[in-house]
Amino acid sequence: MPSEGEVVLAARGVSRRYPLAVPGQALKTTLLHPGQAFAAWRHRQRRELWAVRDVSFEVRRGEFFSIVGANGSGKSTLLRLLAGLSKPTKGTVELRGRVSTLLELGSGFHPQVSGRENVIMNGLLMGLTKREMEALLPGIVEFAGLREFIDQPMRTYSSGMYVRLGFAIAAFMDPEILLVDEVLAVGDAKFQEKCYDHIAKLQARGVTIVMVSHDLGAVERFSDRAALMERGRMVAIGAPRKVVGLHLERLAETSPEIRQAIDEGMAADEERVRRLLEEDPEWAAAFASALEQNPAFHEKLRQQQAGQGAGSDARAD
Amino acid sequence: MAMARPAQGRSLRNAVELVTALTSRDLRLRYQGSVLGWAWSLARPLALGAVLAFALGRVLGTGITAEFLLAGLFPWFWFQGAVQGAAGSFIGNGGLLKKVRFPRAVLPLSTVLGATLQFALSLPVLIGFVIAAGNGPTAAWLGLPLIFALQLGLVTGIGLFVASVTVYFRDLEHITEVLLTLLFYATPIIYSADLVPEGYRWLTYANPLAPIMEGWRGILLDGAMPAADHLAASAGLTALALAAGWGAFRRLEDGFADAI
Repeated sequence: MPSEGEVVLAARGVSRRYPLAVPGQALKTTLLHPGQAFAAWRHRQRRELWAVRDVSFEVRRGEFFSIVGANGSGKSTLLRLLAGLSKPTKGTVELRGRVSTLLELGSGFHPQVSGRENVIMNGLLMGLTKREMEALLPGIVEFAGLREFIDQPMRTYSSGMYVRLGFAIAAFMDPEILLVDEVLAVGDAKFQEKCYDHIAKLQARGVTIVMVSHDLGAVERFSDRAALMERGRMVAIGAPRKVVGLHLERLAETSPEIRQAIDEGMAADEERVRRLLEEDPEWAAAFASALEQNPAFHEKLRQQQAGQGAGSDARAD
Repeated sequence: MAMARPAQGRSLRNAVELVTALTSRDLRLRYQGSVLGWAWSLARPLALGAVLAFALGRVLGTGITAEFLLAGLFPWFWFQGAVQGAAGSFIGNGGLLKKVRFPRAVLPLSTVLGATLQFALSLPVLIGFVIAAGNGPTAAWLGLPLIFALQLGLVTGIGLFVASVTVYFRDLEHITEVLLTLLFYATPIIYSADLVPEGYRWLTYANPLAPIMEGWRGILLDGAMPAADHLAASAGLTALALAAGWGAFRRLEDGFADAI
């Protein structure tokens, strides 16, 4: 079906340039070191970064499109350009339909006011009216599982509760296009599962989803198509399994640990693996995906993650 | 293939509700948990008025009265609070600007509106003082809405401008603070414009706030509107401030999310 639907999202030659911080921008520096500031100003055009370069692709109605890539490859910048949060330096982004954006859940929450008020405010920010939000509120609260806490100020919430409320709001916005930025990596495993279930339901209803993620397992499981970003360019686009495979290959070239994990399906040194899992989300995602071939170990890893998730979310219970 | 830009279908109703919700949240948070709450917004003009009435009126013997000072200080604190608050309204909401698409202007506008509401709520107290000092309502009081509208336009324009430019030039927030202090003394607030020497009188035409301050005092205490040419100059500069504020905001808003 997705290959037949109309195009609802189109990026054409999208590029985004960022100027890098130039010394001499502060008034103090300008006044104290005018020569240096002037030199910096003259050379300012050379100090810049093309975070996204000449990216073109189309997404059709009802399609689940994932974007993978190493940290700093430009995938989050691309998503922000798609969301209209920043403007492309070159090229155009065209969207058709109501867009809901999930970038860092709960970033718009104010800690001093209640969850209820934050939900309403979030809805207003996204363009709904107060009445519409009040109608959606019970469902949101139910989905987030925060019925007893919704009238408490949000500073009393655990980080897990923050994330759950944030996702619940975005999920109930009734979007036609949902843009998701690796937000589902946070929160406990049980809620993550619930989120993916909900996304699958949205997809079944014909909602178009564009997701940036490090969770390569989920990318393979849910996507219709995937794309790989590398240093700002979209270097591959196609079947998720192929794109994820290519991504892992590229990662393997840079890290012997990943090479080993992929080759063996598991790593020998549990201590080192655990440290890497904590320190490097990129590696963790690649590792988890590589372990898909080894169900027993994978199950163990999942249990471990679930245990950790429940621990960090203790205040919610 | 023609496609519309993201059709968010944002209604005017939504914009109004958003500004209202932000304003009421800010006001509630400001006085949350304090016993006196709103009464604190009276404390600054009243305290400054009392000290100045003593220092200028009694110690220096200028004969300046408390009601003269208060009629200038209440509107002044509205002006100062609105401009100062607006200056930080974008950089203080960086997280929101980076993650959510919404009409950015609601941030400084709700700050300005909050300061305006505070002033409106303190107005009965000011009028109480004015009447207690023996200045009953006159026909000139009908001119108050005009002065109010002029000042509202002025703080909105300046607020939008300062808020937008501060995102790129952080020093402006501090420059604003210094300029506000200078403006306080450069504007006939604790003195009357008549006392300004002839050679400097033009300054009160170049300063759009001067006729507004003279207006509040003239109407409340003397039952007289400020001179028409003086008001016209102020209205012209206010329109200019609004245009500059809106222009700066529209030109700069696209880059906010990246610059913060």
